[in-house]
Amino acid sequence: MAWPLFLLVATPIVAGLGSLLVRERRAVEVLQCAQVGAMLASAALVAERVIVSGSVSVGIFLQADALSAWLDLIIGIVGSTGTLYAVGYVGEEMDRGHLSFRRYRQFFCLFDLYLGAMLIAVNLENVAIMWIAIEGSTLSAALLIGFERSKAALEAGWKYVILSSVGIALALFGTILVYYSSEHVLGVSSEALRWSQLYRVAEGLDPTAIKVAFIFVLIGYGTKAGVAPMHTWLPDAHAEAPTPVSAMLSANMLTLAVYAILRFKAVTDRTVGPEFTGKLLIGLALLSLGVAAIFFLVQRDYKRLFAYSSIEHIGIALLGFGLGGLGTFAGAWQLMNHALAKSTAFYGAGLVFLRHNHKLLDRVTGLLSQMPLAGAAILVAGVALAGMPPFGLFTSEVLIAVRAYTARPEIAYVFLALLALAFATLLYQVFRMAFGAPGEAGAALGRQCRLFTGAAVGVNVVVLGTIGLQVPPGLETLLAAIVKMFSAGMEAP
Amino acid sequence: MSLLSPQIGSQMVDLGSALLLLTCFAIVAQRRLSACVDLFALQSVFLALTAALVAFLTGIYHIYAAAALTVVIKVVVIPRILKQVIERLNVTRELVMNVNVPAGLLICGALVMLAFFITQPIIPLGFLLTRDSLAIALAIVLIGFFTMIARKKAVTQVIGFLVMENGLFLAATAAAYGMPLIVELGVFFDVLVGALIIGIYTHRLQDAFDSVDTTKLTILKE
Repeated sequence: MAWPLFLLVATPIVAGLGSLLVRERRAVEVLQCAQVGAMLASAALVAERVIVSGSVSVGIFLQADALSAWLDLIIGIVGSTGTLYAVGYVGEEMDRGHLSFRRYRQFFCLFDLYLGAMLIAVNLENVAIMWIAIEGSTLSAALLIGFERSKAALEAGWKYVILSSVGIALALFGTILVYYSSEHVLGVSSEALRWSQLYRVAEGLDPTAIKVAFIFVLIGYGTKAGVAPMHTWLPDAHAEAPTPVSAMLSANMLTLAVYAILRFKAVTDRTVGPEFTGKLLIGLALLSLGVAAIFFLVQRDYKRLFAYSSIEHIGIALLGFGLGGLGTFAGAWQLMNHALAKSTAFYGAGLVFLRHNHKLLDRVTGLLSQMPLAGAAILVAGVALAGMPPFGLFTSEVLIAVRAYTARPEIAYVFLALLALAFATLLYQVFRMAFGAPGEAGAALGRQCRLFTGAAVGVNVVVLGTIGLQVPPGLETLLAAIVKMFSAGMEAP
Repeated sequence: MSLLSPQIGSQMVDLGSALLLLTCFAIVAQRRLSACVDLFALQSVFLALTAALVAFLTGIYHIYAAAALTVVIKVVVIPRILKQVIERLNVTRELVMNVNVPAGLLICGALVMLAFFITQPIIPLGFLLTRDSLAIALAIVLIGFFTMIARKKAVTQVIGFLVMENGLFLAATAAAYGMPLIVELGVFFDVLVGALIIGIYTHRLQDAFDSVDTTKLTILKE
C-alpha cells in the first residue's frame, strides 16, 4: 500500500511536463485540475497510512514518517488550491493579452515542477538527496519569481537566486559535515546519509562536528526560510513574483526550509541535547519577530505587508520548536495554519492586483463591497494571521506563550510585546482595506478567473475554519508523533 | 596504495588543495572578467586532479566519475557559457569594487585563518590521508562568499558562487572520500542548472538595465 506516496511525488512532475507538451489551453487546464485531484487524494491517503502504521516507504529513497506526512498535508492542500488559483490568475493574464500561450505553458510547467520538488524533498530518507530536491525547488522558484520580466521582478529574482544559492551552499557544507562525522560510525556508504540511521547512532557522533554542522545548516536553510537577518530577499520576492507564486513561496517553501532545519535539529538534539539548538532557534526567532514588527509599520505595499507577516509567523513557529515540548506541538500547528491563512491572504491580494494593477496599500479601500471574494479572503486571512480566535494561529500562539512563560518568562514578555505590535498593525491595515467606501473602479475580472480563484479561496477558508475549531483526531496523532520525535533528545542529560 | 606511502599521498592531496586555494586568491586579485573565468577553469582542473588522486590512493572508484564530471562541466561547459555572457556585455574589466584588491587579499587571508580556527576541533576525526583539506575547503567556500560580496558585476558574483561550489566539492571528496555517486550526480546537475539560470538572469538584466552592475538594482527598497 505504498502507491499513494509514489503518486503524490510523481503527479506534479507528470502534470508539469505534460503541460509543456500539449497544444491547447483547455488541455493545460484539464491537466492541472487532474493534478489537484490526484495530489489532494494521495496526500490524504499518505497521511492516513502514516497515522495508522507510523510510516510509509517506496523503494530505498522515498519514506514518509509523521513529520513528512505533516508537510505532505500542508504542501498537498495549499499546493492544490494554489494550482486552482494559478489556473484562474494566469488565465486572466492571458485573456488580457499579457501572456502568450507559450509562456502560459512554461508557467505551469515550472509551477508544477516547483511543487513536485518540494513534495519529493519532504519524503526523502536521504539527507543529501533532500538537499538536491530543495535546490531543485530553489531553482524553479528563481525562474518563477522573475517570470514577469519587469525591472522590479528581475531585481527581486536576482536577489533571490544569489542569496538562496549562497544559503543552500552553506547548507550543503553542513550536510557534508554530518556525513563526515557519521561515516566513521556507519561506514562510507549511503547508510551514513539516512535519517533513520542518523537518529539511531546520533548519540555516538562527534558533538563538535555536529554543532558546527548545525550552525551551517541553520544559516543555510534559514536563508531559505526567510529568518532574520537573512530575510532580505523575502519581501522583494513575495512582492514581485506573480501572486500564485508568492502564495506558494510563503505557504510551502518557507515551511519546507523549516522542515529541513527540524530534521537536523532532531539529530543534533540527540547528540548534544536540546539546549544548543534551542538557544539558537529562540534567538533567531525573536530577531525575526522584531524585524517583522518594525517593518510592518512602514509598509505601503500590501503584498510586502503579507511578506513581512510571513517572517513573523515563521519566527513564531521556530520559537515554538526552540522551546520544545508543548512548543513543538504549537510550532507544527502554527506551520499548517500559517500556510493556509497566508496563501488565502495572497489569493485575495492577487485579485486586488488584477483589478487595480498596483500594490499601493493606501489606495485600496472598501474591498468587501467592491470585490466581495477578495475582501472576504483578506479579511478572514488577516484576522487569522493576527492571531484572533476561532483560528488555529490563536491556539498555537497562546500555547507558545504559555510554554515560554513556564520555561523562561523573559522570552514570553518579549514575544507577547512583539506579537501585540504586529497584531495591531496588521489588523489596522486589513480592516482599512476591507471596510469603508471603495476607491477607483479598476478592471473587472473574467468569469473563469472568478470561478477558479473562488474555489481556491473557498477550500482554504473551509479547511482553516474547520481545523481552527478543534484539532481533528487524525492530525492529533500525527502531532503527537512529531512531538515524540523531538522529545527523544529531551531526556538526555 | 602500494605505489605511494600514505605520507607522500597525504602531502600530494594537501598540495592539490593548496593550489585550489591559491587560484582563489588569484581570482580575488583579478579585475578582468574573462581572466576570472579562466582562473575558475584552472581551479576546476586542480579540483579534478585532486579528486582523481584521492580516488587513486583510496581505491574508491566512483570518485573518478566525479572527477570526470568536474572536467566536463566545470572546466568546459560552464566557462564556455560564462564567456558567451561576457561577450554580450559592454564591460570587460571591473574598475570599481566594493573592496579594493589589497584589502580584499588581506580579508581573504583572515578568512583562511578563520576556516582553520573553525575546523580545528573536528579535523582529528577525518581520514589521515586527507583531513587537512577540510580547513582549506572551508576557506575556499568563505572566499567564494566574500567574492560575491566584494564584486559588483553579476558575472563575478556568479564566479564567486562557483568557487563556493568548488570548495564544497573539495570538502566532500577530500574530507569525506566523496558522497555516494547518486548524490554527486544530483549536485552536479543542480550546479549546472543553477549556472544556466544565473546566466539567463544576467542576459535579462543586461537587456532591462543596460548593465550587469548589480549596484544599479535599486528599485526595491524599504
